[in-house]
Parts: sequence; C-alpha cells; structure tokens
Amino acid sequence: MWVQILNATIETIYMVGVALVVSALFGIPLGILLVITGPRHIKPLPVVHRTLSVVINVGRSLPFIILLVAIIPFTRWLVGTSIGTTGAIVPLTVSAIPFMARVVETALLEVDWGVIEAAQAMGASTWQIITKVLIPEAVPGLVLGVTMVAVSLISYSAMAGAVGGGGLGDLAIRYGYQRFRGDIMLITVLVLVVMVQGIQSFGGWLASRLNHR
Amino acid sequence: MSEVMIELENVTKIYGQGERRVVALADVSLQIKKGEIFGIIGLSGAGKSTLIRCINKLEEPQSGTIRLAGQEITNLKGKELRAARRKIGMIFQHFNLLSSRTVYRNIAFPLEISGVKPKERDERVRSLLELVGLADKINAYPSELSGGQKQRVGIARALANNPEVLLCDEATSALDPETTKSILRLLQDVNRRFGLTIVLITHQMEVIKEICDTVAVIDDGRIVEQSSVVDLFAHPRSAAARRFMKGVLHTEIPPEIKERMAAVGPEKLPGKTVRISFIGGVAGEPVISSVIRQFHVDVNILYAKLDFIKNTPFGSLIVEITGAETNIEAALKYLTAQGLKLEVLTGVGADS
Repeated sequence: MWVQILNATIETIYMVGVALVVSALFGIPLGILLVITGPRHIKPLPVVHRTLSVVINVGRSLPFIILLVAIIPFTRWLVGTSIGTTGAIVPLTVSAIPFMARVVETALLEVDWGVIEAAQAMGASTWQIITKVLIPEAVPGLVLGVTMVAVSLISYSAMAGAVGGGGLGDLAIRYGYQRFRGDIMLITVLVLVVMVQGIQSFGGWLASRLNHR
Repeated sequence: MSEVMIELENVTKIYGQGERRVVALADVSLQIKKGEIFGIIGLSGAGKSTLIRCINKLEEPQSGTIRLAGQEITNLKGKELRAARRKIGMIFQHFNLLSSRTVYRNIAFPLEISGVKPKERDERVRSLLELVGLADKINAYPSELSGGQKQRVGIARALANNPEVLLCDEATSALDPETTKSILRLLQDVNRRFGLTIVLITHQMEVIKEICDTVAVIDDGRIVEQSSVVDLFAHPRSAAARRFMKGVLHTEIPPEIKERMAAVGPEKLPGKTVRISFIGGVAGEPVISSVIRQFHVDVNILYAKLDFIKNTPFGSLIVEITGAETNIEAALKYLTAQGLKLEVLTGVGADS
C-alpha cells in the first residue's frame, strides 16, 4: 500500500511540476503580451489584445475533463501517446496556460503606472520596461499567482485518472472509492492536503521575502 | 539675451471627444531660457501637469510645436524620442521609484537604460549619492526612506544621464514644509552648479517665491501671465495670480487689527491706519524713522511681515500715524514718493 501511495505521489509531483513549468513558459509571455497591448499601456495593439483575450477566455471556460478528451489527437501528435502520466501532462498544461496568462496579467496590472511612466521619461524601450520594470516590480504578485496555478494543477491532476494518468487522485478513486479502501482514500487525501498546504505556505513566504514595497 | 532652451509654440492639447471634450492646453506659447528656474503655477486641473508632460512627450499635443535646445520634440518617434528623453530628467510628486530596487540600483537604472558601462555606472552612482547626501542609504529600499529622502533619490536618478533640462512635476507637493525647503535648496544647488535648466509646476506660491526666476500663471489651459517672479509679486495683473498671492503676501487685513478698528469705531481712531507695501529697494532704508523725524508724527506699527523672493525683500506693514492732519498728509506724500504702495484703511477724514 505504501509503495502505491509513494508512486502515486511521485506521479502527481511529476505531472504538476512539468505542467507548471511548461505553462509558465507559455503563460507568462502571453500574460505580458496581454497587458502591454492593452489600451493606454506601453504598446497598445487593440486587435492583438482583443484576440488574445477571447482565446484565453475560451480556454478558461472549457471544463478540464472535456478539454482532456477533446485534445486527445493533439496530445497523441505531441507526445506520441494520449494515455498514462505523460499523456495527462499535455491537457494539464494546455488548461493551465490561459489560467497562468490571467494570473500574470493581474500581477502586472498591479505595477504602479507612475513607475512605468518614469521609465518612459528616461527613454526606456518597451523591452527594457518589460524586463527592468514590469517583471521585477511584479515579482511578489507573480509568485503568488504561480502558487495559485500550482494548487489548481494538483486538483486537476486528480482527474488525470480518466486517461490512466496515475497520481494520487487516480489512486483514491480506484482503491479508495471503487475497492472500498477507506484507509487509502484517507491517506491520499491527507497527502494532498499536506502538498497543497506546503505549496501555499512556500509561495506566501517567498512572495513576502521578495516584496520590498 | 541668454539663449532659449525650451520653446513652446501654440501648443494645444484636448482630451476626449464630444461632450466629454476637455481643453487641457489652449494655444500655449512659452520660452524658457537656458539655466533658469522656470515655474508654472496653477490650480489642479488648470493644465500645468499636461504642459510639463508635453515637454518630454509623455503627452502628445494635437497641434503646436515644442523645441528643446533647437530640436523639435513634437515630431520625434521611437529611437530618436528615447535618445532625446535621456537628456531630459524628470522628478515626480509621488517619486515613482522602483520598489524592487535599492537606492543604488534605482540611481543606476537610467544608466542601464542608456547603456553606460558598469564601471562608469558605479562611479556615477556614487558621486550622485554624495551630491544628494544619501551615501549612507545606498543599500536601503525606497520603502525604508522618508518622503524627502525618496525625492533625493528621484533627483539623483533624474541627473544620472547629465540632462540639460530637469522637469519637476509637483515635486514637493507630497512633502512637509521643512522637507520642501530642503528639496528646493537642492534643486537650486544643482541649477547653479551645473547650469541646469529647471522647469517646475506647482500650486504653491511658496515654491515659486523660493527658487524661481521666471513664472507663468496657467488658468483653464491658458497662460494668463508671465513675468519675472519679482515683477509678479510687485504687480500681479491676472486674477489668478492675485489669488495665489493672497496666502503669501497677506493682502488681507489681519483679523486682530480688524477687531481693534471695529471695537473703537473708525472715526474715533486717533490718526490714520495705513497699509504700506513694498518690494525690493526701499526695504533697506530707514523710511519710517525719517518720516517720524521730518514730519513730527508718531508711527505705531500694528503689523509687519517681511519676506524674500530669492534675494529681493518684500513685505507689508500696517501702521497707525498720529499727529497734526497736515503733517500726516505730508508724511503720506513722502512715503508714496519713496516708491511705496500706500492704502489708507481708515482714520481721520477717510470714508469708511
């Protein structure tokens, strides 16, 4: 039993970890693009801004379980399989990207406009404003945002069982629920709670350490 | 005549459209000379902030031209605009420092932007820290500084790229009077030391009085008056200027004196109560004592205020002159001849 729980924990960490990193890789630039192309920001591009916003909203409104099934051909094309832990990472990532983009947007919009304007007055280019002002000033907010996405990914990863993805959620359903193993159910839930708690506390601690405001 | 540093010609800026249309600047023309401290005073909403922000094109006017050191700013774009902006320092009411950077790295920021090499950057930052007196705060974050210290960092940052012009957008409005004075002294110091042209906008006449050479009064998007600061104090022509002057010059009769006159009854006052205002020159001369000696009258000083506009003294006195009526008349004539502005408030023979 303990071996199964350990394996499931590792699978969850693997799925969530990879999905988080890849979704940050795509979601952060998207979030930045979304913000700077907005009206009255540093690079207003109405068409890009609106298109991006609509696409992100569509991505955000699809229920995860439906997205999981809907993108099976894409998953198969991308990683060669649509099942197992690796097969689950693709839909997890795809669903986390728009979420990440919104979270990044919120964090970047918190940056004091006066500071951005001061940088403009100094002759900073758009790229310099992004890398030297927007991102560094938003770091505490970004850390909290990424923490939020990580916690959501843990919850989504429980549904990965639907494609044989493994992980703690899958274990809880197959053993805890379908085979009436209350002990396994209880332990997996406990492990999940500890995991979420740990991520949240770490994120909060890191954000406040990086906050000089 | 010294050369012109900044020139605005028929600058008009309108916000919004239709019913929400607001004319922020209406056909504004100004000339700012190299090396002077030029103040623009106006109430909030008068357009002064828009005006100063047009100078480095943070705001784009609909029409008109702005030239800085002969270069037209209004038609600059992209790379050229950024290069021009590096030569224009700017400080802000709310300082606008980067909260994620220490004092040192805040001052280094504009140097990073303009691509100054690390070694040179370090030397420059350290000398600027000395200049603004914050060498001991080098590793502090802005949140650990007082308002005055933050503005000092702002000034150091604005001077980093050796600008020709410094724009001050309500730079002292968020500071207490004491700190305001020290920041103004620092601005005056950099103006003298580096021959830096300073443009500042404010709603406080105190700021104008303290350091400006020339002043423009802006009201409802228009420049209603422009003159040297001393001239403005001596002869304010516009209603807007007079309004700003009130608090500084005390053109009102102090309430204690009003009460006293009311209690006695104007007709029963022994002599004449006169307000004497002066600016420059005569402040250094013993006019009051010569009046007493020459005309055999008594002068009782009820109220006096003396102040300086940069180095020019100005002020007002309220005095009560008693003696023979003919002597009083002669004394008043003499005072007028000395270039003083007289105003008989009440007394013998005066209409109430």
